[in-house]
Amino acid sequence: MSEVKSKSREHWFGIRKDLAPGRRTLLTVCSFGIPLLVWVTVSYVPFIWHPDIKLEISADRDGVTTVFTAGDRVSKEFFPTFVEAVRQENRKVLDARVKNNPHFVSRRENIKRLRHLAPLGVANGWLKNNERQNDEKIFNLWKQLAEGELASRAISLSQENLEIIEENWILLSKASPTFNLKLYPTEALLKLIPQGISSNPVYLPAPHEVINAGWLDFNTVPENGMPTMWERYRHSLNIIFWGFAYSCLLGIPLAILCGSFDFFSKLHEPFVDFFRYMPAPTFSVLFVAFLGTADAPKIMLVFVGTFFQLVLVIANTTRLLENSLIEAAQTLGAKRRQLLGRIILPGILPNLYNDLRILLGWAWTWLVIAELIGEKTGLTGFIDTQGTRYNFDRVFPVIILIGLTGFFTDRLLNWLRYLFFPWTEEVRQAPKGLLTRLLLSSTDRTTYFK
Amino acid sequence: MPPSLELPSYLSQSPEVSERFEKLRNRPVKLKVENLSKKFDTPNGEISALNKINFQIFRREFISVIGPSGCGKTTLIRILAGLDFPTSGNVFLEGRKMEGPGAERGMVFQDYTLFPWLSVKKNVMFGLEIKGLGKLKAEAEAMEWLDIVGLGKFADAYPEQLSGGMKQRVAIARSLANRPEILFLDEPFGALDAQTRSSMQAYLLKIWQNVDVTVFFVTHDLDEAIYLSDRILVLRANPGEIDELIEVPVPRPRAPGQFLTPEFLATKKRLEELIRPPELAQNDEFPMVRLTEVGDEVE
Ligand SMILES: Nc1ncnc2c1ncn2[C@@H]1O[C@H](COP(=O)(O)OP(=O)(O)OP(=O)(O)O)[C@@H](O)[C@H]1O
Ligand SMILES: [Mg+2]
Repeated sequence: MSEVKSKSREHWFGIRKDLAPGRRTLLTVCSFGIPLLVWVTVSYVPFIWHPDIKLEISADRDGVTTVFTAGDRVSKEFFPTFVEAVRQENRKVLDARVKNNPHFVSRRENIKRLRHLAPLGVANGWLKNNERQNDEKIFNLWKQLAEGELASRAISLSQENLEIIEENWILLSKASPTFNLKLYPTEALLKLIPQGISSNPVYLPAPHEVINAGWLDFNTVPENGMPTMWERYRHSLNIIFWGFAYSCLLGIPLAILCGSFDFFSKLHEPFVDFFRYMPAPTFSVLFVAFLGTADAPKIMLVFVGTFFQLVLVIANTTRLLENSLIEAAQTLGAKRRQLLGRIILPGILPNLYNDLRILLGWAWTWLVIAELIGEKTGLTGFIDTQGTRYNFDRVFPVIILIGLTGFFTDRLLNWLRYLFFPWTEEVRQAPKGLLTRLLLSSTDRTTYFK
Repeated sequence: MPPSLELPSYLSQSPEVSERFEKLRNRPVKLKVENLSKKFDTPNGEISALNKINFQIFRREFISVIGPSGCGKTTLIRILAGLDFPTSGNVFLEGRKMEGPGAERGMVFQDYTLFPWLSVKKNVMFGLEIKGLGKLKAEAEAMEWLDIVGLGKFADAYPEQLSGGMKQRVAIARSLANRPEILFLDEPFGALDAQTRSSMQAYLLKIWQNVDVTVFFVTHDLDEAIYLSDRILVLRANPGEIDELIEVPVPRPRAPGQFLTPEFLATKKRLEELIRPPELAQNDEFPMVRLTEVGDEVE
């Protein structure tokens, strides 16, 4: 049955009017597309925000204790000062050299100055990540760059720095024609001038950084015996599952009793109502004290966090069941137990199911707190560690994973309603996709006449 | 053909009709109501919804209750079905004192009250399974009842897929499948359109003629009450008391054609007198509300 396009359907903004299917899909795509687009734009279009410079080549200043290494971010106001200070130092070294009264430094200091080329080597793939202190490789790098055998692609070296590389190589190769740390010069080498690219603050990593970091984290086995990301994920799921399962197992029967019998309602609900205002995290110390530091107190926290809400919400849902259905069953001979099992339970089931979906969302919130008590574990434990180290590009993939897990479980549970409750108004009215229709036709639970 | 203005008294019965009532009165008493009163405590004081109600119903009798809105019809039927408790007085079913609801007293509500999560067939099977009938037997019996109300091919549909009239037929089948001794119906056709309503009345009459069941029927539709009932219980409001218990002089079997017979009209006239106080009809001084004249002086 196709509807004739009427005037009211043409409006984008009609109160309580459904938009045409195409427009609805478009808007759904936009609801994800717009935030993504904002993120991408802010990340890759330099003049929108980018208040910082991300250092690609750094230098240590004399007598300044704050050390910036490649990869650090400095504000755009500070960067020129930084660069000028290093230049000034180089100028002094050169002046001294011209006056035939060169500066001397420790050999160790010169080695350090040479090592500042390492990040460039890593970025170009000439050095491995763990070779940043491999002085022989670094020696060769200086040589090859100075002699023009290598040209940096990943980071475009400024003319100034190219000259410094040549200048330093002359000094270095004179003292140590082949690699030999003992022969390294003690006359001060020039420092590389800090170079960097415009970037956003560390807490807003760009999409590709997040994807790369996530890819790495989820595909490498960490050393020092830490769990892999997938183990962490399973651990988190485990805690939320058991916490919520105990909550349901104890809470649902109690709630249905409370909603059905005034006796249980008056006996339990006032206390439950009181208890739910005491924030669950405040009990975490207590839980750790008598349940140990393993998973038990974490599961307990998720349980306490959801149980009391669950009892109240579901007791209320139970009370909302139409009384006339119970009365009708009574006039058909149903007694107390049959009323509970055959009328109240199936009658509230669709609403109970929806309540549980909402409560499961809260359980995720409690999970985050639970994983931080006692021993920090699971995904939140990882977020906590990396967050304190400012590795936000590694934090975001985990946050997104949690979000996606919650979102897709909810979508799945929502979709399963078609299977479980084909008789409800919402399900019968809802437009059904191909998959849903297939599912319904494979079960003989509904018959369609209209 | 306009009905003659000279109507007989509603009390005069033809010999066949009075013979029938004679026989009815000799049947065993199915339901006996004794000094039934119901008071509600409200913020505005006590409401006497029912006051000292006494009557009895004979086996396989069809009895209707009418009365102005708020006179206590629903209160009465709910007490008889055991869903509410009376303030005082007793209800006896074949001499047994009744307390609480039970399968021997079926009830059909105005708002259908089918169980939405059960298919039509399972709805009808509900009472049978409670009774302890095996699944197969219950199913066979339910199908029989669905065929009687003409809904056999909707057995696997969910209630929400049916129209109002169909739902009410399922509700009736569900109650009758349980073989209640007495069936209570509270304005069961009140929410239906006129067409469906009259066919439902015919259905109910036919079922009643073929099933051993006593019917207690609440309605506010006078034609419906006369067309269906043996006797009509007229209630008065404030306090709810029995105004009159009328023996309907219209002979059986009934048909819609009888709506214009003298007995029918005489009964209807009497009922109208009873439930519509005359002073209401005269008060037609209506305040003039902004009325734009059409200008052609046609009223
Ligand atoms: N639970 C209650 N609490 C207080 N008063 C009530 C309650 N139930 C009914 N009443 C009062 O009792 C009186 C009878 O109500 P009842 O519903 O039985 O009338 P009724 O004859 O069925 O009316 P209607 O034709 O509108 O269905 C009314 O005045 C009503 O206000
Ligand atoms: Mg009523």
